[in-house]
Amino acid sequence: MIKKLLIVGLLTGLAFMFYGLLISYNGNETLTGLGSYYAQNGAREVGAANLVSAIVVTYRGLDTLGEVTILFLAAAIIGFVLKLKKDEVVEARPVRETSELLTSASQVIVPVIFLVGVYIFINGHLTPGGGFQGGAVIASGVLLMLLANPTMHISHNIVATIESISGIAFVAIGILGIVLAGGFLDNRLLPLGEFGTLLSAGAIPLIYIFIGLKVGAELSNIIGTISYNQNEKPN
Amino acid sequence: MSENNWNEIIGGFIAIGGSLFLVLGSIGLVRMPDAYNRIQAGTKASTLGTILSLTGIIFIVPDWFGKLLLLILFVLITNPVSSHVLARAAYYTKVPLTGITKVDKLKETLEVEESRKAHLKKVRIQKEEE
Repeated sequence: MIKKLLIVGLLTGLAFMFYGLLISYNGNETLTGLGSYYAQNGAREVGAANLVSAIVVTYRGLDTLGEVTILFLAAAIIGFVLKLKKDEVVEARPVRETSELLTSASQVIVPVIFLVGVYIFINGHLTPGGGFQGGAVIASGVLLMLLANPTMHISHNIVATIESISGIAFVAIGILGIVLAGGFLDNRLLPLGEFGTLLSAGAIPLIYIFIGLKVGAELSNIIGTISYNQNEKPN
Repeated sequence: MSENNWNEIIGGFIAIGGSLFLVLGSIGLVRMPDAYNRIQAGTKASTLGTILSLTGIIFIVPDWFGKLLLLILFVLITNPVSSHVLARAAYYTKVPLTGITKVDKLKETLEVEESRKAHLKKVRIQKEEE
């Protein structure tokens, strides 16, 4: 009884707190200066139907580079923390046989998941989504593959190569923007194309493909590191 | 009344039926006695609920037919498989069954499997001795 009363009291207190927040909240109904600039000129200057990716990739492209770097650092630190010491011998984890349902279903679903991931980052300039989301979807496909086959080994070399190449390509496109167009990560080094079609918005689709590959590789690398250090003896 | 309106009314009813299943599923999730029954309640009801809701949307917006059909297929494949994997993991990590469970087919199967393996091992040892 006392416990229930306490819970009710707690909920009432929380309700009061949120009520106060709700009453004093009034959302921005007009765009701020920068926001209205983006809204009015974004479509014309960048040519992307999805204004969010126009801002993320071109106007705030440097921040995106920073975000990708943060993700890379996180993946590297996870690999570093989980790395086993050389003399530390770990028994191989006994792996139960995966159920047939899961393995057959994953064979059907994994290609679809990869396809959806690729679709999301290729269409990043047209529909909601983009490199980060597409990359995360791809990594979830890798996770499903690992669940279906726990002893699968994700080749570190391949993942690292994909990641490095796409990272370098991202920066290279940015620098090409300085040379050929108005500044770092300026997307107008390629023709803007017809508004709303797949091949439009200059370099944004290209940049998003590289971001998607990079994010997918990084997240897969994290998953692979965690699984590898549980399954197998270190060299 | 135009044809379009009828479509919307039918679709609305189907979608409401779907949300009914979703509500029942969430009640089952709280009320059922053990993990396995909860997984079952959650999966079956939410699969059917989602499918019905999406079917309702097909009636309301016929243009989205293809996409929604794909979604339905996806839910039909992933939902049962994921709950199967969850239940399997729970069984092998020895999450207790509720006390009133009478039939445990998986246990019987595993015992049969176990005794078959033991028998094979015995036969092999005998052959090696010969």
